[in-house]
Amino acid sequence: MNEHKIMQSQNATATIENCRYCLMCRHVCPVGHVSRRETLTPHGWGLTIASIPRGLLAWNQDTLDVLYSCADCGTCRAHCVTDQPLPDAIAATRAEVAAQSLAPSTAYEVHKAIQEWSNPYEKHVPETVKGQAEIALFVGDDAQYLWPAALKSALKLLDTAGVKPVLIGIGRSNGYLASSLGFPETAKMLVQATLNELKASGARRMLVLTPGDYYAFTSLLTERLEGEWPLGVEIQEVMSLLDKKFSTGVLKFKPSDDKKPYAYIDPTHSLRIPARYDAPRRLLVGAMSTSGQELFWRKERAHPCGNGALQFMNPHISDHLTYARLADAQQAGAQIVVTEDPGCLSHLNRHADRFGLHIQGLYELLDEHLL
Amino acid sequence: MENNLFLLEMIRSELSEIVGPDFVSVAESDKFIYSTDWAWMPQMWLDRGMQLRPPDYIVHPGSAEEISEILEVANKYRIPVIPWGGGSGTQGGALPIFGGILIDMKRMDKIITVDEKSLTVTAQAGIIIAQLEWALNEKGFMLPHYAASSNCATLGGALAPRGTGTLSTKYGKAEDMVLSMQIVLPTGEIIRTPPVPKHAAGPDWFRLFLGAEGNFGIITEATMQLDYLPEARLMRAVLFDDLNKALEVGRLIMTHRLNPLVIRLYDRESTVSQVKKVLGYEYDGAYMVMGFDGDPEIAALQEKKALEYCQQLGGRDLGRDPGDAWWEHRYDFYYPPKSLKLPWMYGTTETVTTFDKIANLYWAEKKAVEEGFADWNVKFIAHFSHWFHWGVMVYSRFIIEEPPQDAQEALRLHNRVWNAAMQAVMANGGMINEHHGVGLKLSRYMRKQYGEAWPLLLKIKKTIDPNGIMNPGKTGFGF
Repeated sequence: MNEHKIMQSQNATATIENCRYCLMCRHVCPVGHVSRRETLTPHGWGLTIASIPRGLLAWNQDTLDVLYSCADCGTCRAHCVTDQPLPDAIAATRAEVAAQSLAPSTAYEVHKAIQEWSNPYEKHVPETVKGQAEIALFVGDDAQYLWPAALKSALKLLDTAGVKPVLIGIGRSNGYLASSLGFPETAKMLVQATLNELKASGARRMLVLTPGDYYAFTSLLTERLEGEWPLGVEIQEVMSLLDKKFSTGVLKFKPSDDKKPYAYIDPTHSLRIPARYDAPRRLLVGAMSTSGQELFWRKERAHPCGNGALQFMNPHISDHLTYARLADAQQAGAQIVVTEDPGCLSHLNRHADRFGLHIQGLYELLDEHLL
Repeated sequence: MENNLFLLEMIRSELSEIVGPDFVSVAESDKFIYSTDWAWMPQMWLDRGMQLRPPDYIVHPGSAEEISEILEVANKYRIPVIPWGGGSGTQGGALPIFGGILIDMKRMDKIITVDEKSLTVTAQAGIIIAQLEWALNEKGFMLPHYAASSNCATLGGALAPRGTGTLSTKYGKAEDMVLSMQIVLPTGEIIRTPPVPKHAAGPDWFRLFLGAEGNFGIITEATMQLDYLPEARLMRAVLFDDLNKALEVGRLIMTHRLNPLVIRLYDRESTVSQVKKVLGYEYDGAYMVMGFDGDPEIAALQEKKALEYCQQLGGRDLGRDPGDAWWEHRYDFYYPPKSLKLPWMYGTTETVTTFDKIANLYWAEKKAVEEGFADWNVKFIAHFSHWFHWGVMVYSRFIIEEPPQDAQEALRLHNRVWNAAMQAVMANGGMINEHHGVGLKLSRYMRKQYGEAWPLLLKIKKTIDPNGIMNPGKTGFGF
């Protein structure tokens, strides 16, 4: 092991030792909330992992299911007073397990697809970057394959705001999924491919469509993947840029006549990004003319929507995370559920009917109301 | 029953028929995780690579009716039943020491009604306190049970061991906030206590279930008293050279009914170690935080009067910032690595007594622990944190940074330190605890604590739980 890996391993062990008997983030863990199983909480994961080297448990189908049931959403860390990087420690443990050929077969199958196609959804290699520009937009795989309307509308909004980005990472995973499954080398390869495209594009700023993409190219890259973001290049969420353009009057919306109650769902990974809650809400008020209903699990306690590695590794819990988001919106009195993350939109849309809800992409909604 | 696979499977089938197969687990991973709660002893045991007795089944019921049916099965086969809320107890009260059916209450987490006129909430007992508090805050209310375990403990878990929260000095213990409860008795009957707690319709039998730690049944629902979110909350810190004088200030504040929401008085050892570690203050003396809330003018006047007592007895006013910082970070003490944690040995031998005895009790317990275990370089720290009109609770803790590595030896030492502390406590008029409950750890002191009254409790237990299935081995009751 190189020095960095040894340090990572020591950090992971220290985190696990801290978390194994700590119950202080139990109230926010989304998987614990939907499963009600003590085993599927940060304490449960910590104690399970800590008990393997002590000879109290062994990796088998049961314990591996437990290991792969964490959503890797970052909620525990966001609420931890001592900032314990438990999701990183769990990912490091998954990497150890995967390297020993012990991981569940689904993990290897998804990994194989990512290695071959750079995404888990379609058998297409990423499109190559065309042209150069001051600003690049990372497309990713979710926007390309799961909810393409978001990209189309985002580009129209950017164009109206005077921003004409070059598209990079078209159809390529941001690396988070591979990292979360326990394949950090593949994650690094994916991130590096995007960084190479970014460099070739000559852009000084990279826009991303979702908080998940923002997280992947910031904290995940530097803390988990031992990577470095290129010096002098800025990263920004499209939503943040649109909010600035809206507040300065560059973007204007024609308020909707539709008075149906709506709710905004903070996308998965939102709470990994400081102070990103207000921008989408301000834009929504601009386009809808009224404030939305607020969910119980919102902003700094926002739960994930069911996307991420869990959709492959534990579809049952993944579905229940989606149901919980929809039930929350339903209880808040919403009829329309709005969010911008293509992965979230895709998951929510799959189950919206049973809750009597209509799913609306935020980029598309803003696009529809552009003046 | 551990080795009787046939019987295990038969009973699992019955449990599955009651709650559905998804809500009964016999997975090794679940059995392992539910084999420990937050007590130091089982945590240390696992830390040293030793297995604990797991439950045979983990069941997640969805209603009181389902719990009633589960208890019928348990009575039929004479199987232990262990109610489980958040598993955050420090006394081993939720340990399945004889195996059996562990009933995890967290599926029963609904808020049933909020009565905005009477200021009450009725909720299922499995709701996590922090989540209940968030929901109430959105309506402008609070459930003033601000326990350090609120992030993980359930409402039922606050009531069963007679828990206390940070604001207890003004708002009372959890048991003071409860108006009524739904309870499933060990024999399966689902009962409701009277709708209000203050009346003269016979003896106050509903209090039997508070502090019974599941021995007399399972609390499934509770109606709790609420308060409005306070308009103002004024925090203040004062430093004393003399702990006894600080205790006297606390007594004056309480007996003159200045109504503080909190008085947190750290002894010198706690001030120079814990307060420094968590809040970063380098005070040498007894650090006291006090707070007043509600109407801004009334709170300000109460604070002014309290500060006068502090001044009269030599307290140095540190101002508002160290008080606010304490309020802001009051739970940081419980997050590792700031908290006490393994591989250290530690225990909280908290107790309560009247004002006339508290100073003697504190010094006697400190002496018993420090002198009795000097060879182990034991540290004794304490704070006085839950105050009553008649007395105060002392949250005393012992710490041994280099305990024995052998698990059995470590457990014996832990028990010996605890014995020394409890003997000093009882000899000086203290109770064996104020709010952590009895659990497994303090079970052996119950007979001595109650003396001639103890057989009465045993008779009650035998009557209510004739087969002795409920949480056996805890709260002083056997199996």
